[in-house]
Amino acid sequence: MQPQFERPRLATYAPPLEGERILRVEKLRKTHIIRNGGSKKHGDLVVLDDVSFEVGEGEFLTIIGPSGCGKSTLLDILAGLEPYDSGDVIVSGHRVNSNSPDIIIIFQEDALFPWLTVRGNVEFGLKEQGVSAAERRAKADYYIQMVGLTRFAESYVHQLSGGMKKRVAIARGLAMDPRILLMDEPFGALDAKTRGNLQRQIQEIHASTGKTIIFVTHDVREAVCLGDRVMLFSHGPGKIRRQFVVDLPRPRRAEDLALHDLIGQVLNEFSGEAEFAENGDGDSDQ
Amino acid sequence: METGIRTSSPKGHRPMLTEALDVAIITAVFLGAWQLVFWMRFYPPYLFPSPAMTFATFLQLITSGTLALGLFTTGYRLIGGFAIAVGAGIGIGLVMVTFRRFGRVMSSFALGLQSFPSIAWVPFAILIIGLTDWGILFVMVMSSIFSVMLSTYAGIRNIPPIYLKASKNMGARRMSLFRRVMLPAAAPSLITGIRQAWSFAWHALVGAEILMATIGLGAILYLGSEFARMDEIIAAMIVIFGIGFITDRLVFARLENGIRAKWGLSN
Repeated sequence: MQPQFERPRLATYAPPLEGERILRVEKLRKTHIIRNGGSKKHGDLVVLDDVSFEVGEGEFLTIIGPSGCGKSTLLDILAGLEPYDSGDVIVSGHRVNSNSPDIIIIFQEDALFPWLTVRGNVEFGLKEQGVSAAERRAKADYYIQMVGLTRFAESYVHQLSGGMKKRVAIARGLAMDPRILLMDEPFGALDAKTRGNLQRQIQEIHASTGKTIIFVTHDVREAVCLGDRVMLFSHGPGKIRRQFVVDLPRPRRAEDLALHDLIGQVLNEFSGEAEFAENGDGDSDQ
Repeated sequence: METGIRTSSPKGHRPMLTEALDVAIITAVFLGAWQLVFWMRFYPPYLFPSPAMTFATFLQLITSGTLALGLFTTGYRLIGGFAIAVGAGIGIGLVMVTFRRFGRVMSSFALGLQSFPSIAWVPFAILIIGLTDWGILFVMVMSSIFSVMLSTYAGIRNIPPIYLKASKNMGARRMSLFRRVMLPAAAPSLITGIRQAWSFAWHALVGAEILMATIGLGAILYLGSEFARMDEIIAAMIVIFGIGFITDRLVFARLENGIRAKWGLSN
């Protein structure tokens, strides 16, 4: 007997005809030069090919795809940290460059500075922008409180747990007041419980700050749980395969039943990508 | 049960007390052995003075001002040579990081020169520069600069790229990237090299003073051997030991441990 409830369907995403677009990526192409040992050029590896998409103001976009599909490279390009071969990346009408920290990236690895306290880390970028000491401190304390680490403002990074470090990184990113917050598999290395807490917290932060967030993960569950829209990448070369709108009420939890149905459908969509399914299963243990 | 608890959770001051006690014991054993050998009269007293005689000479060196002058002279040479070695070493280390090919070649040369005996620079320095403070500084710098160069080079090259990526993303450029990220990120490696450079500079200085100076702790050693004043030699040796011990243990070891602890590196 099938339980009698309406199964939510994944709606294929169709870009809106008008409205605020904060980011426009057009026909983006990126190749890596493969070098054979020394300096002899061996060939080009196409990392991203003909990638075009738009992101609306305040949208929470999640990107999933198999490892090596160019997701992280895409984020580096968006952050202005990596050049690209052709195409365009336009943020609020301006071509992206590395000189304006409009787009802040939060990495999977630990990118906090061990020689600074939590507050010092959060203030780092503000100081770089020439913000006055008093204002720096006020802003840092505000965002440290937002991620619930006020008690640890004077602690050094090595005194914090993995989940707390992620929260500091998020506070550091938010303190820069970026137009777009990029997150590159930020919760990948955490245990299931910590990850669940952070997934809840990032949704709260998204709701309260209205920040545009682009979140890369290889965990389907996480992508569907967090995203207003899920963008699927396939690899070799990295391309957008399909996009889905996730129209479910927030806050969501990765365990929600309604979510499970969508996750199944997304996994089905990707049954061809063996490596991808493997990764997704490996990460969704409870 | 109670004693078990007490030994398993010692109070904060106890390790320091036991350490001081150990030092006192080993000093007493050393002085006792010295006195014993003195009593056996293998050598005449002017060649092998007793601890008490040495102590008297030590006091006399202090009151006559000889020791103060020697300490002062040796001190400014040490600090001057060390400062030059650290400054120039960091500078050359940065050039090595900037110009990769130069860095590769230079680092293998520097590794070789690091194990080059400092005393072997003395004849070269005497002929090129002369028996002056500058000659002594040259020997010290050549003996210690390579540690600083290598640790700067390695420290900066081994900075996790993610730190640079993150700080560039937050708008750090050139000087502030160097000052606020690269320098502190390289600090643990740098302080190890600087500590080693201090010790190398110290070794080189005493050696150079024996051969090249008329004032200074090394010169006291040399004059002591010329005039067969073993008491002065031993007194100077103890001062030399004390300076090395105090600076390394109380200054550089603490600095290094402090940095490593703050950076979250285990010792």
